[in-house]
Amino acid sequence: MAMTDAASAPGVSPSDEAFARRLRRQDAIFVNLTWASATLVVVVLLGVLISLLIDALPAIRAFGLPFIWNERWSPAKEIFGAAAPIYGTLVTSAIAMVIGIPVSFGIAIFLTEICPQPLRRPIGTAIELLAGIPSIIYGLWGFFVLAPIMQTSVQPFLTDTLGQLPGIGILFSGAPYGIGLLTAGIVLAIMILPFITSVTRDVFNTVPVMLRESAYGMGMTTWEVVRHIIIPYTRLGLVGGIMLGLGRALGETMAVTFVIGNSHRIAASLLSPATTISASIANEFAEATEGLYTSSLVALGLILFFITFSVLAFAKWLLGRTEKF
Amino acid sequence: MNMPDAQTPTHGFELQAQAANFVQADTLNPVKLQVKDLHFKYQNGHEVLKGVNLELRDKTVTAFIGPSGCGKSTLLRVFNRMYNLYPGQVVTGEVLLDGRNILSNSEDLNRLRSKVGMVFQKPTPFPMTIYENIAFGIRLYEKISKAEMNNRVESALRETALWDEVKDKLHQSGLGLSGGQQQRLCIARAVAVKPEVLLLDEPASALDPISTAKIEDLIGKLASDYCIAIVTHNMQQAARTSLFTAFMYLGDVIEFDKTETIFTAPKQQRTNDYVTGRFG
Repeated sequence: MAMTDAASAPGVSPSDEAFARRLRRQDAIFVNLTWASATLVVVVLLGVLISLLIDALPAIRAFGLPFIWNERWSPAKEIFGAAAPIYGTLVTSAIAMVIGIPVSFGIAIFLTEICPQPLRRPIGTAIELLAGIPSIIYGLWGFFVLAPIMQTSVQPFLTDTLGQLPGIGILFSGAPYGIGLLTAGIVLAIMILPFITSVTRDVFNTVPVMLRESAYGMGMTTWEVVRHIIIPYTRLGLVGGIMLGLGRALGETMAVTFVIGNSHRIAASLLSPATTISASIANEFAEATEGLYTSSLVALGLILFFITFSVLAFAKWLLGRTEKF
Repeated sequence: MNMPDAQTPTHGFELQAQAANFVQADTLNPVKLQVKDLHFKYQNGHEVLKGVNLELRDKTVTAFIGPSGCGKSTLLRVFNRMYNLYPGQVVTGEVLLDGRNILSNSEDLNRLRSKVGMVFQKPTPFPMTIYENIAFGIRLYEKISKAEMNNRVESALRETALWDEVKDKLHQSGLGLSGGQQQRLCIARAVAVKPEVLLLDEPASALDPISTAKIEDLIGKLASDYCIAIVTHNMQQAARTSLFTAFMYLGDVIEFDKTETIFTAPKQQRTNDYVTGRFG
């Protein structure tokens, strides 16, 4: 901008004038290209949403709103209900959160408050590398390594201990299959760990040094500083990080498909096989031949789209508020 | 910063100052904090304090002045062992609080910091209500009833002349106060736990003149109860608030004397140059 202004100033030769025109033309092309790129994002987003809506229309017409709470999923009789996949999606994500959040917070607190300086970078990098492992590898590992361990040791142990308690005992009842909601939740927890950890570490680092020092200066222990100063000060950013992890857990497909068991049933026990929205779609798309079956799978996708979209929108909103705070 | 009178101290002036010293010598309060041959090194080997010796008297304000990087803030951060947060910083020498070496490994840091409170350059209210900002620190060390806690919070706020300004919004966030009020809240928080020593690290450097005047008033009032160490870049502030002043330069205490002497009849040429604004 400054260059073109200088070139069109009075007392410049015609060749300078031409040079300035060329610059302006180049700049115009550049500006239009960036506009086009930005527009493309919105077009793609709307395109996906519209095509999902169109393809899901037959299922929506046939089943209406009860599609969401109907558990029956019978391709033979052409009756489809989304309750089981929705339940599986929410429960596996909840398990992932219950395990993933405390561990991520622990790692982030260690990295920002306790870890010796020379170790911070290697550990931080190791956690970021976890995020780079393709999900199919987590799936393979979950199926061939984790599931047998779950079946032979963890699940029988849970049934014998927590399973005997009144009330919550039902969550840990039934035969140990190895695969199921709990195993899928654990795999998801490991997968979302790096995401929550890195956001948490970054927001912990936004706490002003002086505020931390004044908290320690009051004679607080590390735990008290973290619990009463750092977490309250960063609470909105923390919720944002959790939501980003949740968004990922909700949509994860391959790893979950391996270890969830793919059963369209809602059972109270966390040890029982189940299914999630993305696992159902990935598993059944090839065999869905006639219209209503395919359309029902697309409708499942539409529901997932809305769940993930609202989680991410909520996270963005919270993160925006932290910056102002 | 110009004090033309002090630029050419007359002999009469010097004698007066010395006489004043002599007369008051036996009315001074006992030594609270004694620093002996204190050295401080960063991890990279840079030595910030090169053998500091001085003593802070009880119920007395001692000011630390000197150009940036002279080590005055570092010295303050040794008194509550804040440097322990950063591994690799090495301290040798002794700092005796009532005769006990606080630099020894057996010293309990949380207990030490309950006795040596600190206020920073910028206000640092905790992310909680005004009431909780003060009650929280008390609760770390004492178990007291709700009514007693209310009294303690009120008296800390009265002590710092903040009560009338905040009594109607005790349960609102401390972050909603003005900068000067936040800083007085931080001082209230520090005195609420009944410390013995109060460290003020440029407590008014981020405040406007009116808030600064209030903080200085407050320091004057608190001086009768606490051993106070204040670091400041503002020489009038040092002159107004303190009884003793230490002038530091490049990690050494160049001169340590009655504030009056430092500002009117310094014995060292460098001190004279600094307090008259010729460098620094």
